[in-house]
Order: sequence, then structure tokens, then C-alpha cells
Amino acid sequence: MSHLDFLSPDLAADDAVWRSPLERALAHAPEGVEDLTRTAVFEVRGDVDGLEGEVVRLTPERAYVLCPFEEAGRVRTRLTGAGRVVVDASAGWAGLRVHGETLMHRLTDLDLNALPALGALAHVRALVIRDEGDSFRLYFAQEYGHSVAEAVIDAAEGLA
Amino acid sequence: MRLEPQQGERIDRGHEVSFTFHGASVRGFEGDTLASALYAEGQRIFSRSFKYHRPRGLLCCRGTCPNCMVQVDGTPNVRACVTPIREGASVEAQNVWGSLDHDLLAITDKIGGPFTPVGFYYRTMIRPRRAWPLYEKFLRNVAGLGKVDKHAGRASRYDVEHRHAEVLVIGGGESGQAAAREAAAEGKHTVLVDNGPDPIELEGVETIQGTALGTFEGGLVPVDAGLVLYRFRAGHVVVAAGAVEQPLLFPGNDLVGVVLPEAVRRLVGRWSLRPGTRAVVISADDGGLDTLPYLERAGTEIAEVVDLRETRVHEIAAQGRGGRLASVELDGLKVGCDLLVVSGGRQPAYALLAHAGARVEYDDGRGIFVPTDLPPGIEVVGPAAGETGDAAIPAATYNGAAKKGKCFVCICEDVTDKDVKRAIAEGFDSIELAKRYTTVTMGPCQGKLCHVPSIRLYARENETDEATIGTTTARPPWQPVELGLLAGRPHEPAQRTAIHHRHKELGAKMMWTGSWRRPHSYGDPAAEAKNVHDSLGVIDVSTLGKLIVSGPDSAAFLERLYPNRFGDMKAGRIRYGVLNSDAGRIMDDGTLARLSEEDFYVTTTSTGAGAVVEWFEWWNAIWRMDVEIVNVTGALAAVNVAGPNARELMTRLTDLDVSNDAFTYLDAKHAHVAGAPSLLLRIGFVGELGYEIHFPSPYGEHVWNEILAEGADLGVKPFGLEPQRILRLEKMHILVGQDTDSESNVLEASMPWIAKLDKDDFVGKWSLEHVLERGFREQLVGFEMENGVVPAEGGQIVIDGRPGGRVTSARWSNQLDRAIGMAWVPPNLAEEDAELTIKVDGSVEKARVRLRPFFDPEGEHLRT
Repeated sequence: MSHLDFLSPDLAADDAVWRSPLERALAHAPEGVEDLTRTAVFEVRGDVDGLEGEVVRLTPERAYVLCPFEEAGRVRTRLTGAGRVVVDASAGWAGLRVHGETLMHRLTDLDLNALPALGALAHVRALVIRDEGDSFRLYFAQEYGHSVAEAVIDAAEGLA
Repeated sequence: MRLEPQQGERIDRGHEVSFTFHGASVRGFEGDTLASALYAEGQRIFSRSFKYHRPRGLLCCRGTCPNCMVQVDGTPNVRACVTPIREGASVEAQNVWGSLDHDLLAITDKIGGPFTPVGFYYRTMIRPRRAWPLYEKFLRNVAGLGKVDKHAGRASRYDVEHRHAEVLVIGGGESGQAAAREAAAEGKHTVLVDNGPDPIELEGVETIQGTALGTFEGGLVPVDAGLVLYRFRAGHVVVAAGAVEQPLLFPGNDLVGVVLPEAVRRLVGRWSLRPGTRAVVISADDGGLDTLPYLERAGTEIAEVVDLRETRVHEIAAQGRGGRLASVELDGLKVGCDLLVVSGGRQPAYALLAHAGARVEYDDGRGIFVPTDLPPGIEVVGPAAGETGDAAIPAATYNGAAKKGKCFVCICEDVTDKDVKRAIAEGFDSIELAKRYTTVTMGPCQGKLCHVPSIRLYARENETDEATIGTTTARPPWQPVELGLLAGRPHEPAQRTAIHHRHKELGAKMMWTGSWRRPHSYGDPAAEAKNVHDSLGVIDVSTLGKLIVSGPDSAAFLERLYPNRFGDMKAGRIRYGVLNSDAGRIMDDGTLARLSEEDFYVTTTSTGAGAVVEWFEWWNAIWRMDVEIVNVTGALAAVNVAGPNARELMTRLTDLDVSNDAFTYLDAKHAHVAGAPSLLLRIGFVGELGYEIHFPSPYGEHVWNEILAEGADLGVKPFGLEPQRILRLEKMHILVGQDTDSESNVLEASMPWIAKLDKDDFVGKWSLEHVLERGFREQLVGFEMENGVVPAEGGQIVIDGRPGGRVTSARWSNQLDRAIGMAWVPPNLAEEDAELTIKVDGSVEKARVRLRPFFDPEGEHLRT
């Protein structure tokens, strides 16, 4: 094993059971709330120009690169080099997809017309990305995942 | 009784709605408010006043004054005049002892005057002191408005919604609508907020029925929309809040039947109600005169009309029977009436502008305060800007010479003109101080009806002008708001480890450590600690802060941050580190594992990760070293398996050679554990052979379950924080924050081996050298109680009858069969076997100082 492999969930044996921190909270989630936790996220420091994949640039020398969990190994290999520090943050983030601007307004004070952005969501720091229409992806520290999922469900119930 | 149907009325006579008022059924129509429906049924007294319990009736009919505040379905202080009628609602009067018509506490109005002057609560009921609990009980029963049921659940669901707008217009009158239309025509995202009863529709403009509560920095405007609090961030705010009709000050000005013009307009125009049978109108502007057509339409006889712009009046006095208006005297001319419409002109509603930083100036030509010097991003239009029309400046009071009853400056707080004069006589010569003393402007109307009149009175009594007196500071909220709305939904974010739910399934008693939820124990802390010593325990330590420090300068960076030495560490080795502030105080502690030439893995305390990351980043920014710091706290779950059977367990979970020769104490190694890629640290906080396993958090439950399954025959049992605290105390391992405080340093905390003072420099080095120069003032030591009593943490060390130190930790150890602890003591007592006296439950007990770990002082269990 390389010295940072212990951070990479995709390097686990096949019989190791991967479990989302949102699983229990989302057991009775309303329609349209989807668990995106099984996503690979890399925190890249250094030269972040021209990176491939879905790149969320935080500063001139910091970025998150997101990709499907199954492509983590390939993307990690591609990112490594060029003097960059690449840390696999996949296991640190939980993710949700939600729909609706009003629901988002009840969760975050971020300007929904200026995404992606990092900001408070349900009182927790989160990366918010807008996809087409009123579909949003929310990524946040997995240890707050259960709390955030509860807040999302509660807000959705308030609009039902 | 309703008037005949008329054009423009807002009630739907074909749709009846019923509710109860004090249990009696009341019927109204769709479009009624609670107040209009009650008024139609003949109700004239709606509340009793705050202090004197005087009868109060409808005054403004637009949600400004306190006169119609009632309790609705358990919610206090609901303004009946603007609350739509609702089927089945239960409405009660508030602040009443008895009934609205016969309130027992109205006796305070008869005899209370001399006994309850302004500020009486500062001077009475303070002696004898021992009677205060009785006074307090009485006061709490009679004071306040409405009752909150402390045992009731949430009556309503309140939500908070964050919104953005390029232009936010506050107020939907003519000027507000014009401003909104103009902004929308320019293609700007425009939102109009209006608290009127009728929805507004404007093309290209989003409209919200609600009340702006204030304006804050960054264009933040909270809007109360009933069950939703909108938190608007606006690029540009247009305040079109209008102007507020002002009352006149004269004896009897609070009688039921004395109303402001808008009350007439709404009672007649919206709800088709006759406001009185015989009316007198006294007006300083067009406001009062504008009610004349309404009164005529309602069939109200107009007995007298006084336009203060044309007619000078010196004395006005209203008289009543049973609190209801019966007549009014105008310079001695008595006119019988049951309705007195008064208008003291209109004051621009500048409060929202003042919140944002606008100045307010007195216009002595018109007798109003107008906003000036607006801050960037704020605009004012319409009456709020001072466009209030032609008006006479009313007199401060119309009392005349004779004593004809109470003249109220502030009807919310029952403050009379005499109270204001008395405050001035007592030396409260500043309007700000007088406000606090008299509480004028501090009631539910928030100064809308009393601010200007009180300033006018203050100016007259001080023989100066209103500009010199000035205004008090306008503070949000502009309109009273329910606390539940401000609170929003009850979400308190908690950090949970990936194994959290398994702990609960195993019966753990959970506790908070910072914002983390952690198992206190699984039922029997002593047994859990014993199991670690005897066989095998497992504890979830995922809450540890975890950082990757990476880059060519990482070793040099850590050398400069920590008092320890790290440059000489080999890859695969671990060292304990204590992080100092630049004042040499202990900030945090943890282990540092060198993963490679350029990569370190640093752990921190459970609640310290955020502060340590900031500390690292801050110094890295200053030193500009080639280092990257990445917080991976949440990415990794971590468990510690400890006990004599720990090695056997590890051989079952991993292919790694975990023999003592291959994997020695303070080694860090990589391996798959139960299939999860892991970093294994051979360390031992709890004093037994132990391995800390760090691995990706999604496998938390999997690894935990595998440990319990594979270790079942080895006696593995989970243990919580409480047994961990017993075990670490047996080893005399400190807990930062428990055994240390903001003044503690590593030297006096008996860890001098941490500080490598021969290093060129490190954060806090100068301070530690200073500690050596000045000598120790106290030292952290262990102690054993002689009689087995466990002292309280925080308990006193007593020396010659005086406090001489403090206990920081204390527990009973079954393993050692004695009570042990740690304490800060004077340096002369920091010697093995020195005698301590510790205060325990009022008596003094003896203890002996111990300088070495109580359990396994040589660390043989750790290194076995």
C-alpha cells in the first residue's frame, strides 16, 4: 500500500461493506431526495489548471475534482504528478441531490444563481452545485450527514 | 350591526365563519378580521391596559397599537384588527383579572396613581429583602401581556427562507408600487414586500405579503410573513414604508371611542361597520377630514369638526363612562359623542432607514422627523421620505389647566404626561435615559404612536426644541415578531461517527463532546475498563482530529510548531506531541506519524481539529513554507483495540505481521484490516497493548462488526468514554482542557521531556524559557487518596486552611483498588509521597502525591 492509500475507499476489498452515513436518515425520505455519497472527491493543491473531470475551483491553487466512485482509481492516477498534492477526500463527504429552489432557499443562504459555491447549508459547510433546471447537488462533511439529511427531509416536509 | 352592502367592502356575506371569544360563539364573514367580527357583534372593549388595566378599544385598526391584542389558540399578543377570521379559532382577552368589562386590577387606575408612578418598580417592593420571592410571584402574575403555556408543544411550524433580490421594495403604497414597476422595467429582479391586507399584483414583480422587521448590513432584510421568515439579501433596498398617523395628547385620549382616521376608513370601507353614532373630528392634517365621507356613509352624525390648521384649540378633554367615550370638551365647550377621530399629522416611518444607518433630522416647519444621509444601497420614496402633506404642528399636550384625567403619552406602557414630567424632574434629561426609565417607546407599538409626541413633550418641559432633544435609537424589530419565527426549525447539527448507530444498537448511553455524539459507556463503565485490562476492549475514536501535513518542508514546519523534535523521525514511526500557543500554553495534543519523507499524519483532540487546522494554516501563511495541510477528520473512521488479546485479534483481521518484533510500540503501518485500507498505529492511551486503526469512514460499521465477530472468543467488548477516562488516569495521561487550562504549560504540567529547548526555535519557546527563569508556580501531579474517597473534580487542595491547588481528575480504579486523581499543587508538594489535604464534601481528606503512572509505570503492557 502507498502511504495515503488508507484514505481511499475504492481500494477496499470487495467483501468490505461500504455504507452511507445518510442511509438511515433517508429511509423515509420524500421522492426526489437522492443519496450521492458514493461519489469520489479529490482535494487537489498546486497547479489546478486544465484538470480533467468536474472541477470545482476554490482558489487559484486549490480545487475539488469529482467523479463517479467507480472511476476513482483512474482519476487519481491522472491527477497525481505535476507537483500536486492530491488527497482522496471521497470518504469525508456525503452527498445529496434535491430538487426545487424553494427547498434550497430553506436550507441555504447561498445565491442559487451563483453556484457552485461553498457555504452554510442547514448550518453546516457545504459545496452546492446546480445541475440543469432545479436540481441541486449538496456535498458536506459526512459526520454531519445524518443531521443534514434530517434537516433536508424536514424542510421538504414543510413544503409538502 | 353591519351597514347595507356597499361597493368596495372586503367581506363575503355569503360565507360565514365562526370562532369563539371566551367560549361564546362569534360569527363573521370571510374577509373579516377577528376584531371586525367582534365589533360587528357589539364588542367595544378589546383589552385592558398594561399597568392601569383601563378599558381599551380599537384605535388604529392597522396593527400598530396594542389595544386589540388578544390570545388566539394559546398564542399571546395577536393583534385582532389585522388577523383574518379563522373557523374554529379560540380567542381570549389577555391581561384581565375577571372580565373585560369588570377587571379587578382596574383598581390600580383608581388608587394606583400615587403608588405606581414612573419607575416605581425600582423603588418599591425591595424591603424586606426576604419578602422578595413573594413580591416576585405577585409581580410575575400581574405583569406582562398574555400567557405562554410552558408545557405546550409548538403551536405552529415556522420556517426560514433565504432569498436574494436585486431590488427589494418595502411598502406597497403608490410610491412603493411605482418604484417596483420602475425597477422591474429595467429588467432587475424585483421583490415588493407589503403588509397590507390585500395582495398586490404587478407585472414582473414578485410580491410578498409580510412585514420588513429591520434592515441590516449587506442589504439583509428579514421579512415576517406569518409562518415563514424571509431573510432577503438585496442589492438595493427601496423603503416605501409610508407614514404613521399620530395621536393627540389630552386627558382621556385612551378612552374607548377615540380613534385614528384609518380606523374609520377600515371599519366603514372594508367591513361595513358603523364606528359610532355621533362623532367629533379633530385633525392637524387632511387625515381626519378624509374620514368625513366615510362617517356620512355610515350614518354617523358629525357633531363637530376641528381643523387645527385653521382653528387654535388650547384644551381638549375627553370624558367617558365605564371607560367608553361620552363627550369631549373643546376649550370648555362640551360636545356629546361616542366617537372622537383624532389626527396629529403623519410621521414618516423612517425606522427601517435608521436601522441601516440613515440620519434623522427634525423639520421644524412641519413638526416631523425626516430621514437624511442615506447609506449606499438604500433609497426612500413617498411619505417615508417626508412627503406627508400639509399639516399643523400639534401642541405637546391639550391638557388645559384643570385636572381632567390621565393624559397618555404611551398607551402601550401606560405612561402619562405626568410620568414624563416626573422623570425630567428626577434628572432624566436625556431622551435615551428617559426612554429606559419611563419605558416610553418600548412597548408593542415600538414608538410608532408615542415617539414624536414624547419628544414634543420633552422639548416643551425642558424649554428647548425637538431638534435639540433628538430621537432615540431605532432598533429592529420594527414590528413585534413571534420568537418562534425568529428561531425557525429546531436543528442543532451534531457530528456522528460512522459507527454511531451501532453504538446505539449496542445500548450505549450517548453524550456530547463538543458537537460530537459519543458513547459514555455501554452500561457498566467499571466492567468495561476491567475488560480492557483482562482481555480486549474496542473504542470508537473516529472523533479524533486528523490532518495530513504534506510537502518538502513538512518536517521543518512541525519542528517549528511543536516543542518536540520531528526532523529525526523515521518514516513509519509515531511521536506524541503537545501543541503550544505562542504564549507557551498547552493548546492541544495528539500523535504525529511520519508516513514518508514529506508526509505526516497528525491527530488532535476530538474538539480541537478546527482550531488546530486554523493554527497550522495561520503559521504556514506567515512562514510561507512549502507545506499543504488537509483536514481529513471526517474521511477516516478510527477504532482502538486494546488489551492483552489485541495482537491475537489483529492477526485475525489483517495479513500484516503484527508480532512485537515486526510491529513495535510507536510504529505506524499500512495494511488492509477486515478488507478496508488502513493505517495502523501501535499506541496505547489506555495503558494496555493497543492498536489504533484508521480507515475510510464508509467502512466504519463493517470494521466494527468484524472486530466484534472475530474477537468474540477473545472476550472483546466495546467500551465508552467513561471507562477510557478511568484507564487513561491510571496511566496518568492528561486530557487537554480537563487537566490543563488556558494557563497551563508543558513544564509545569510535568512533561518537560516534550520541550526541546535546545532547538533553534519553536512556537512558545520564549515563554517556556521564561517559565524556567521565573520558576514553577504550580505543578500537575498524580495523587492517591488514603481513605478511598473520590474527591470532586475541581475540588480544593487545602494548605494551612487555605486553597492551595485544585483537583482536575479523580476516579475510583477497580484495577488498583483505590481512588486516584491528578491535581495542580504548589511546587514544594510535587514530590513523591508528599501529603496533600483535599476538601471532600466539607471535610478534609488526606492523599499522597504520585509522580509516576499508577498502572504499569514501566509501560511493559504497552510494549509487550
